[in-house]
Amino acid sequence: MVELFRMSSKAIEMQPSLFQYRELLKNLVIKDLKVKYRNSILGFLWSLLNPLMMIVVYSVALKYILRVQVENFPLFLVVGILPWNFFSGTAIASTEAIIGNANLIRKIAFPREILPIATVFFHCAQFLLALLIFFPALIFLGAPWTPAIATYPLVLLLQLVFTLGTAIFLSAITVSYRDVKYLTEVALMMLFWMTPVIYHLSMVPEPVRWLFELNPMTAYITAYQDMLYWGRWPSAQMLVLGCVWAGVALGVGSWVFRRRQRFFSEDL
Amino acid sequence: MQPAIEVRHVWKQFLIRHNRSDSLKERFLGLFHRRYREQCEPFWALRDISFTVERGEALGLIGPNGSGKSTVLRLIARTLYPTKGEIIVRGRVAPMIELGVGFHHELTGQENIYLNASLYGLTRREVDRLYPAIVEFSELDGFIDVPVKNYSTGMYARLGFSIAVHLDPDILLIDEVLSVGDERFQKKCLERMLEFRRSGKTIVFVSHNAAAIQRLCDQACLLSHGEIKGIGDITTVLELYRTPGVLV
Repeated sequence: MVELFRMSSKAIEMQPSLFQYRELLKNLVIKDLKVKYRNSILGFLWSLLNPLMMIVVYSVALKYILRVQVENFPLFLVVGILPWNFFSGTAIASTEAIIGNANLIRKIAFPREILPIATVFFHCAQFLLALLIFFPALIFLGAPWTPAIATYPLVLLLQLVFTLGTAIFLSAITVSYRDVKYLTEVALMMLFWMTPVIYHLSMVPEPVRWLFELNPMTAYITAYQDMLYWGRWPSAQMLVLGCVWAGVALGVGSWVFRRRQRFFSEDL
Repeated sequence: MQPAIEVRHVWKQFLIRHNRSDSLKERFLGLFHRRYREQCEPFWALRDISFTVERGEALGLIGPNGSGKSTVLRLIARTLYPTKGEIIVRGRVAPMIELGVGFHHELTGQENIYLNASLYGLTRREVDRLYPAIVEFSELDGFIDVPVKNYSTGMYARLGFSIAVHLDPDILLIDEVLSVGDERFQKKCLERMLEFRRSGKTIVFVSHNAAAIQRLCDQACLLSHGEIKGIGDITTVLELYRTPGVLV
């Protein structure tokens, strides 16, 4: 069968499907991993240094200086910091996903969504690798092994979808507004302190806690903590919230992206 | 049989943005201060362009700089969208508008072949099949596992060209890339193009070189200021191109 493309000012028929381009997605992710780790065997270890440092610093600062009352604090940190880093790293990198590939966009027709999606998958692969490395640490720190861990893939999937939506959105609007990158960095810093990564959600004063609960990342992070720190099933409320946020992010993200993508090659 | 390319009443407008504000900060300041405000000047790069290219036909696009030739090519390559009108393309397109686009410097020639081919939508199995031919044509046998950052300009272009011609396209878009590598390789490329012609592929060829168009094409189209000044028989169109006063 012959491929057919009909483009007009109003509609584009037969856009090449994302599925057809799965090979490209795979190659882009592999490319990123290769480029990052080829030149240094230590490359991967370097990427572990950041969460390790965060855990050490926060443990010392919060446990021994501020005397935060959280039992087994290092375990609590490991459980929350790795997924948080996955999200924040992806969000920052996604602002570069389109503008950093201007040449490709201008010269080759392929589904543009592939670029931010590849960014997310690359960071997801890094997250899974880090999780694997930190696995012995989880055991060593005494993580509870309960059947609740079976929901881990589900929570990860929800976070992945939410991250995808965010990345697609950020990659598209950075084309028009180049300072979104800096805004993202600032927003992430605020979001970090509004997410119960280094404290319990229950420590947040009652009157403002609803605000913290509405934070999408709270839903995922508390679910991870439920499973790996408390050894219980994630709360239904947080799972539902996580679902809603994932859907909203993906919906808004792809809507914005679709509307803007035809102007990418002119605006870059 | 339906034509390979149909371009129907296509208009393409670019916005020339003076004092472009491409940040939220500037947008915000623009609300208060005039000098931060962006001014958009519309520029019609193409005005009411219509033509068809039948399957197996080769069309040569000719015209002075800034006449819209490359815009036409990019519209057919689907990297630009028309502002008005419609374009129908039937078949897989191999754009040879610039060679080596999408190469990653840290990756080897082999890795770049796989990455680049997938940018054009090829599956792994298709690339596996084409791989030996791509390497052979590029004459990079001994360098295929070397990162392309260590390639010479000629080697780089040869690899890009070789991938493009092996994409198994139905339609080739060529933007004066025949100047690849040394003279011998150029000859090989031209032969390859003529072979494409013989095997019934559709070609759109942009060039300033009248001789090259005469050699490769069977139809020519003269563009000037985004309008078609003449289309059809090559000799007639080339004569029109040389006639003073036509391009105004």
